[in-house]
Amino acid sequence: MSTQGAASTDFSIQVTFEMLSQACCLPIVRATVAQLAATVGWTESETRCITMAVDEALANVIRHAYHGRTDALIQMHCRAGEDQLEIRIRDTGDAPDISRICAREVGCDRIGGLGTHIIRDVMDTVSYESRQDGNWFTAVKRLRRQG
Amino acid sequence: MTISVRESGTAQVVEVEGDVDLGTSPNLRRTLFDLMNKTPKLAVNLQKVRYIDSSGIATLIEVLKSTQRLPMEFVLFGLSPAVQNAFRLTHVNRIFRIVDTEEQALTPA
Repeated sequence: MSTQGAASTDFSIQVTFEMLSQACCLPIVRATVAQLAATVGWTESETRCITMAVDEALANVIRHAYHGRTDALIQMHCRAGEDQLEIRIRDTGDAPDISRICAREVGCDRIGGLGTHIIRDVMDTVSYESRQDGNWFTAVKRLRRQG
Repeated sequence: MTISVRESGTAQVVEVEGDVDLGTSPNLRRTLFDLMNKTPKLAVNLQKVRYIDSSGIATLIEVLKSTQRLPMEFVLFGLSPAVQNAFRLTHVNRIFRIVDTEEQALTPA
């Protein structure tokens, strides 16, 4: 993991992870994302939601892009600014099937699709892109300050 | 995540503590399915759960659906703020029988 002050004035903290596709890495990422979200200014409850959304995105990579392989590489870039958090995750596994993403009915007892529902519900913008250098997941959450 | 199981009358009470995520939810699934058919009531205490992800929630849904095919009851109690948050996000509150205390959980529905 590396941390640095950003050259851009839009983002004051940037954190980059390079990790293997192993579930044991997830608690470390969650702790960092929670700290970043709290630093930007989200409440404890909102921070929990954001942390969960990011965790679900990584879990999707491990499960669906890498099919449980534990030796593949995941890169994650977190950028926290005055009023937003941007998360970018790159993998080189199978590309996501966009047509199947978030096809879950809210409140039903179907088991699949919960993670993607959480990501869509929590983050303001979510995008998936398959490029030559891998699959990119990008999500942004903006802080709405009151008053 | 740590899991402990104890008997309370005819029920089995499962205490879950820590993080229930992609890495640990298979252990919870194994424990709950092992208890299936061995008790008329399975009560799960989620008070000390610090984090639960969609794989943990999916495990609970899977257990619920299996118990519905059996003469047994599945009840969750003492939901921690993290669990409440995750359940609210995924709108699964109304799927489960959820109560506040163990005493309520062990009372027949």
